[in-house]
Amino acid sequence: MEVVVLAKWVPVTQEEELKLVRGEKAVDLEEIPFRLNEWDTYAIEEASRILEAHGGTGWVVSLGGEEADTALRRGLAMGLGKGALIETEEELVDPFERAQIFKNFLEKKGIKFDLLLSGVQAEDDQFAATGGILAGLLDLPYATMVMGIEEISEGEVTVLRELEGGFMERVRISLPAVLSVQTGINEPRYVSVTGVLAAAKKEREFLPVDEFSEGRKGRIEILKLEFPPPREGAEIIKGDLDEVVENIFEILKEKGVR
Amino acid sequence: MGYALVVGETRGGVIEERSLDPVYFSDKIGLPSYLLLPQGKYDPLKGVCDKVLVSSFEEGDFLNPLNLVRTVEGVIGAFGAPSLILFPHSSFGMDAAPFLAGRLSWPLITDIAGFYRDEEGMVFVKPLYSEKVHAHFRLRDARGVVGTVRTGAFEGEGMRKETVFERLEAIEKDPRREFLGYLEEEVGDVDITRAELLVSVGRGVKEKENIPTFEELASLLGGTLSCSRPVADRGWLPKSRQVGTSGKTVKPKVYLAMGISGAFQHIAGMKNSEVIIAVNRDPSAPIFQYAHYGVIEDMHKVAQKMIERLKGQG
Repeated sequence: MEVVVLAKWVPVTQEEELKLVRGEKAVDLEEIPFRLNEWDTYAIEEASRILEAHGGTGWVVSLGGEEADTALRRGLAMGLGKGALIETEEELVDPFERAQIFKNFLEKKGIKFDLLLSGVQAEDDQFAATGGILAGLLDLPYATMVMGIEEISEGEVTVLRELEGGFMERVRISLPAVLSVQTGINEPRYVSVTGVLAAAKKEREFLPVDEFSEGRKGRIEILKLEFPPPREGAEIIKGDLDEVVENIFEILKEKGVR
Repeated sequence: MGYALVVGETRGGVIEERSLDPVYFSDKIGLPSYLLLPQGKYDPLKGVCDKVLVSSFEEGDFLNPLNLVRTVEGVIGAFGAPSLILFPHSSFGMDAAPFLAGRLSWPLITDIAGFYRDEEGMVFVKPLYSEKVHAHFRLRDARGVVGTVRTGAFEGEGMRKETVFERLEAIEKDPRREFLGYLEEEVGDVDITRAELLVSVGRGVKEKENIPTFEELASLLGGTLSCSRPVADRGWLPKSRQVGTSGKTVKPKVYLAMGISGAFQHIAGMKNSEVIIAVNRDPSAPIFQYAHYGVIEDMHKVAQKMIERLKGQG
């Protein structure tokens, strides 16, 4: 098996107050910590398990600034064999453009794969699109929201897709294929900081994005960013911990659940 | 004048209500909507959209990105290219829309939550960065666009239309992906949809070892413990306890959300609760936009204090 995983290095904004910059066209990410996109961690784990069971080579490929090397090293520390970083300092807001660059990379490097895995979405732009567009551009069968890879046999794979309301569907897909993996599909292995550091010795390529820019063009652009207009919002319960808890108990009593 | 092609979704033969969000969106843009659906009877759609296009594919084959490309090519052959091809932002829409955009080489915008026009044309609003920022996107060229539309983002304006029903010609399946069947999740130990009080924990719970504290809190309050996606993903609580679009939709009397930031998929599963109390130490957490009461405080401290008080009262 030859498996390629796309991995994105993303800002962790869940607990951060964000500031807008560059004429309100971007978020100020200077002070924001980054990590490997959570969905991609699951994709890398799934790829490692497939390789352990079936043998073969695994690639982890990222598109971003030089810091994204940490995403590669994490992928390598988790069991993949080769890494490639397509380097750009530009913020590529259109998933179409990213997919086109990945397509050019795979073709130019002559990488033949059986499975290409990505996460369902990236934490930052939540587009949930790069894997699907890439599959479309390559004209390879695709499935997203993959919650289980049940069986890989000669030329095909059976997967479970997560639907709404606790339902799933089982689909059979011929290889080569592109799959986007949902969180919870597996339990990603723990990798220590030293493990990630040690992976610096593993094979990685650093390639300028210009080598893969043919036909690349953003089809959409950001006009501006803004903070969502506030809804009515919550009435904030203020006071010390005792007062706060007292208030919560009052509300529960009022609603007759205590 | 163009039209918007809306790819609708049925499950078990029943049309999913979220298929109508893109129809309402088309109304807002001011384009006639052609709603494309798998084989079936759709009398209740009379008046809702301009055309109902009924595919020869049954549901399982229709809701398949590879076959859908062929279906859409058939529609384009018969009616000309639409200005927009729209999906609900669901598991199906996320599966099919990007793939179709790639095949057609059309721009794609997912999870569309707002829309307006300025002097240069259409502007699509989409949330980024865990709902904290809205991006306003413009198309770089005037050709069509593929989009997925957020559930509940647009309201129907009660327009009554002369709906025309048309059957599409049969086409061959793409053999490279095949629907084998549906599976339903196993029944859990507790039915969270029946609880009057849910104590719901999210990412903020931090580690598995902290779960028993919230179990205890829920039980002292006579409520039930539920969770958001990250907690179920890590296996800290069973999937049957998960609230949200891929889990359960709940409407208890009180929903006490602790350490839940409020991803849209979670909000969709609990927003109809009678009272929502959110405890989160991040004042910019989107959940405070939806909660009735908010406590900006560490969930662990609040839980400890509540337990202390509940035990003290004996």
